[in-house]
Amino acid sequence: MYRIRFHGRGGQGMKMASHILGTAFFLAGFEVQDAPRFGAERRGAPIFAYVRAQKAPIKERGIISHPGLVLVADESLVPLPAAGILHGVEETTVLFLNSREGGAVWKARLNFPGTVLALDLIGNDLNQPGGQRFFGAICAGAAAALTGVIPEDVLMQAIEDELIHVEAIVVQENKTRARAAFLAMQDKAGIVEEGSGVKVDGYRRPAWIDVPLDDAGLAAPAIHGRRTSELMKTGAWRLRKPVIDTCRCKGCWWVCSTFCPDSAIVVESGRPRIDYDHCKGCMICMVQCSSHAISLVNEKEEVSGE
Amino acid sequence: MKITDSAFKKPKDLPGLHILSAGTSICAGCGGLQAIHEILDILGPKTVTVNAAGCMSLLSVYPFTPFSGSWLYTAMASAPAGAQGVRDALDRLLATKKIAADEDMQVVVLSGDGSATGIGLSATSGAIDRRLDFIYICYDNEGYGNTGQQSSGGTPHGARTTTSRGEQGYCGHKKDLFSIWKANHPAYLATVSGAEPLDLARKIEKARAIKGPSLIIAFSPCPTGWHFPPQESIEIGRLAVRTGVWPLKEYEDGKVVHTKIPAGRLPVTEYLQKQGRFAHLFHPGNAYLIKEMQADVDAYWDCVEKSAATGR
Amino acid sequence: MNKQMLTGNVAAAWGARLAGIDYLPAFPISPQTEIIETVAEWIDTGAMDASMTTMDSEHSMLTAAGGAAATGVRVFTATSSQGLLYGMEMIYALVGWRVPLVLVNVSRGLAAPITLEPDHNDVLAARDSGFLQLHCSTCQEVLDSILMAYRLAEDRRVRLPVLVNLDGFYLSYTREPVIIPDLEEARQFVGPYDPGTVRFAAQAPVSEAVAVLGGESYSYFRYEVQMAQAQALAVYGEIAAEFAACFGREQARIDAYRAEDAEYLFLMIGSFATKAMDAVDQLREAGWKIGLLRPRLLRPFPEQDLRQLAAGKKGMAVIDQNLSFGRGGILHTEVTSSLYGQSGAPSVIASFVGGLGGRDIAAEEFYQIAQDLRQACVRGIQPPMRLLYTAAELTAMRNLQAIANVPAPERKP
Repeated sequence: MYRIRFHGRGGQGMKMASHILGTAFFLAGFEVQDAPRFGAERRGAPIFAYVRAQKAPIKERGIISHPGLVLVADESLVPLPAAGILHGVEETTVLFLNSREGGAVWKARLNFPGTVLALDLIGNDLNQPGGQRFFGAICAGAAAALTGVIPEDVLMQAIEDELIHVEAIVVQENKTRARAAFLAMQDKAGIVEEGSGVKVDGYRRPAWIDVPLDDAGLAAPAIHGRRTSELMKTGAWRLRKPVIDTCRCKGCWWVCSTFCPDSAIVVESGRPRIDYDHCKGCMICMVQCSSHAISLVNEKEEVSGE
Repeated sequence: MKITDSAFKKPKDLPGLHILSAGTSICAGCGGLQAIHEILDILGPKTVTVNAAGCMSLLSVYPFTPFSGSWLYTAMASAPAGAQGVRDALDRLLATKKIAADEDMQVVVLSGDGSATGIGLSATSGAIDRRLDFIYICYDNEGYGNTGQQSSGGTPHGARTTTSRGEQGYCGHKKDLFSIWKANHPAYLATVSGAEPLDLARKIEKARAIKGPSLIIAFSPCPTGWHFPPQESIEIGRLAVRTGVWPLKEYEDGKVVHTKIPAGRLPVTEYLQKQGRFAHLFHPGNAYLIKEMQADVDAYWDCVEKSAATGR
Repeated sequence: MNKQMLTGNVAAAWGARLAGIDYLPAFPISPQTEIIETVAEWIDTGAMDASMTTMDSEHSMLTAAGGAAATGVRVFTATSSQGLLYGMEMIYALVGWRVPLVLVNVSRGLAAPITLEPDHNDVLAARDSGFLQLHCSTCQEVLDSILMAYRLAEDRRVRLPVLVNLDGFYLSYTREPVIIPDLEEARQFVGPYDPGTVRFAAQAPVSEAVAVLGGESYSYFRYEVQMAQAQALAVYGEIAAEFAACFGREQARIDAYRAEDAEYLFLMIGSFATKAMDAVDQLREAGWKIGLLRPRLLRPFPEQDLRQLAAGKKGMAVIDQNLSFGRGGILHTEVTSSLYGQSGAPSVIASFVGGLGGRDIAAEEFYQIAQDLRQACVRGIQPPMRLLYTAAELTAMRNLQAIANVPAPERKP
C-alpha cells in the first residue's frame, strides 16, 4: 500500500493536495483513502493530510504511522515538533521538501534515515497574497511522479475534477505548478514503494498499564493559574513578520499594541516590542502604524541573511 | 458617566500591558480576539468568564489558557445560565462570609453571534428577566465562524456564507440583538468596535460600574470567514463605523445615545468591496442589493438625526 | 423521634434541607414541582437558609447548578422526564466538570405519546452519563438517599454528581410515614461542603472544562470518571455502614429480600419493588422458595454483590419498567452480562417488561411470572421476553381507537 503524508500550514492547500492525489490514484484504477487532519489551529498553523492507495480494498484507517512518502509544503515546519513531520519515518521513507535548499543538506541536517528530495518551486508565492495556496498542487504533482504509477494526464484530470468550482485561471495556476513538480521528479519515478504494514511476527507489545485512580482535582480538565498559553509559540505560524524601525517609531505605542489581536506587542519603557515567540504575522500593526515605522520581512529571507 | 470622569481620555490612557496572554489558537488577524483583548484589559483579572461554545471555545485548550482570571466552558445554549450559577454562588459565599468582599469577581459571558442571537437566546432572556449582574460580551462575526462561517441570526442581508452561496447571498436580515435587549430594559447596553479603542474602553468602564445585566456587542471582522487579508481587520472595523454600517451607541437609563456619529458617511461600497463575502454584490444584476443596503443605512441615520432633533 | 406523613417529593425537600444545601436552581415540571415549591416556601419563611433561582429551562438549570458547584457551594436540583432529556447535554457535561452536586429525578414516561405517569426510560437515558444513580422504593429512602448522596458525591475519591431517583405518583405524590432525622445529626453525618481544588477563586484562577485535542488526553479524563465510579462502590459501602450506625437504617447496594434460601428471584428497582416483596410473601406462604433483589445503586453497578446474591439460584425474573426498543429490558441486559460465565449463576434469567407509563403490575402477574420462571427452569430453556399486557387492555385500547375514528387498516384480499 502507498502511504503518503502531506505536511503544510492551514491555507497552503494540504487538504487539496490529498484530494488531488487521491483522485489521481482513483482515476488510475486504485482503491484510495484520503483525509485531512486538523485540530484547533487556524490559518498558518501546522496541519497534515494523508492518502492511502493500493489495488486491493483498503482496511487500514487513521493517521499514517509508517509513511512511504512524506511531503512538506513549507520547510519552516520541519523544526516544529508540533508538525510531526518525522513521525514514524523509516529507511524506506522518502522525504520531499518544497525548499530552496538541496536534498543532501536536509538529509544531513535531519539525519534522515531514508531518501531526501528537495525542489524549489516557491518562486514568488510567499510574497503574493494567497500565493501559498498553490503549495498543495506542487506537493501533489511531486507525489504523483514519485509513485511512478500516475501518468501526467491523469494528474491533470484529477486537478480539473477537484477544482471544478474554481475560477479557470486558478485551475491553470494549479496545473502549471503541479506539472512543473511532476516533470522535475519524473526521473525519480517509482522511488516510493508500497509498504507492507505492521507484521505479526516480531511486533512490539503495547505497554498497557492499569489506569491509576487520580484525585479528582488532577482528573478534571482544569488549568490552574494564569497565562499558560504563553508556552504555545504561535510565532511558528508565521511566514512573514513585522519589524519595527526604531528610528521611525514615534513611541505612540498604543496603536500597534492595542490593535494586535494576540497581545504580542508589549510596551517596555514607552516603546513597543514585538514578541516574535507569539506574533502570528497578521501584519495589522504594519497597516495601522501611522508613522510607517513597521515593515514586512519574510521569515526565510532574514534567516538566510543572518 | 461623562468623558471627563473616564480614566480613558486619550489613547495613551489605554493599557500597554495586556490581561489576555498570547499563544492562543485563534486565527491570525481575528477581529473578535482583538476586541476581546481590549475589553478584558479594561475589566481586569478579577473575572469569571463563562464561555458559550463558538470560536472562543478554543481560547483554552488543555493545558494552555490565556486568562489571568477564571474561565468556565459551557454549552452553546447556556452560558448566561452558567453565569447565573457562578453569580448566585458568589453571592451566597459573600452572604455566608466564606469569602471577603474583595474576593468577589465580575461575571462575564463570552459568546458569538450564533449563540447570542439564536440557540442561547432563551438563557439570555432568562438572565435579563432575573436582573443577573453580569456583562455579556457578544463577539459578532456575523455567522457560525467556528464551523466555517455558515449563516446565523447575525449574518447581514446579502452576505455569502457557506450555507448561502447563491448569487444574492444570505436572504435573511441581521437580527437586531441591541433592540431585543433594549426592549427588556437592561442596566447597560453598547456596541463597540476594536478599531475604536477609546470608545470601547469608556463603555466597558461603564458596564463594569453598573450593576445588572449589561450587553456589549463587539464588531468582529473575520479574515477567515469574510474573506479578506488578516492585516485588514482594523481597517474594515473602521470602515464599518465610517460608512454607518456599524453604529456605535449605548443605552442607559432608558435612552439610546450614539457615541460616534460618522460625519460625511462614506458609501457602503467602501466597506463592502474590501470583503470577499460581498464580492458578488458587485456583479451585474446585483446593484439593487447594494442600493438596498445603502438605503437601509441612510434610513437608520435619518432616524437617529430626527430623534436627536426632536430630543426623543 | 420526628415521624411524619410525607410525600416522596416533600421527603426529597427534607433531604435537601437536612443536607444543608446552599443553592437550588430550579425549573418546574410535573411530577417534581412540589419539591422546589416546598424548598421555596421554607426559604421564604426563613425555615431554611439557602438561595434559589428559578431558571428558564432544565438545560439552564443544570448549567447554573454546575457553575455554582464549581464556584464552591453545595447545590441541589430536581427534574423529571422531558426535563431530564432537555438538560441531557449538561448531564454529560457536569460529569466532566467533576462537580459534586445532587439531582433528584422524579421518573415519568417519555413522550410521545406524552404522559404524566412513571416508568424508568427517563432516568436510564442518563445511565451512561457518569452520574451515579441511587434508586428509591419508599419515601423514607428518598430522604435517606439524598443525605448519603452528598457524602458520596463530595468524597475526594469520587467527586461526581449523583442522581437520586423516585417514581412519579407512586412515591412523588404518595404519603408514607417518614422519620425525619435530627438536623444536627444529619448535618454531622453530611459534614461541611469541601469545594476541593477545582473552583473559582479571585486569588487562584482556574480555567475549567477546557477542550482537549487528541484521543490521548480525552481518554485519560474519561477513564478517570470510570475509575472514580468503580471506587464509589466501596465508598458507598463505607457511607452506608456509617449511615446505619447513625440512623439505624440499612441501605445496602442491593437490597436482598428473603433471598438467602430462595431458589428463585425477582429483580426490580424503584417503588414497584415493594409490590414484588408482597408477592414474595404470598408465594412463600404458598410454599415457594422465592425472594427479591433490588439494586439501590445502579451506577456504579454492584456486579460483585449481584454475583454473590445470585449464586446457586435456579432462576431469576428481571422485571423492567423500561424498554430499549429493538433490544428489550435494560436491567435484564445489565444483569445477564454481569452473570455471564459465573459459576453457580442461575441457568435461566427471564425478561419481563411492564409498568410502562404507570401501568400497574398486578399481584397475579407476579405469581404468573414466578410460574413461567419455574417452568423455564424445568425445561432448561431461556423464555422469550414477555411484554405484560392483557386481552382486556387490548380490547379497551380498540374501543379508544374506534372513538378516535382511526380508519381500520386495509386488508389485502
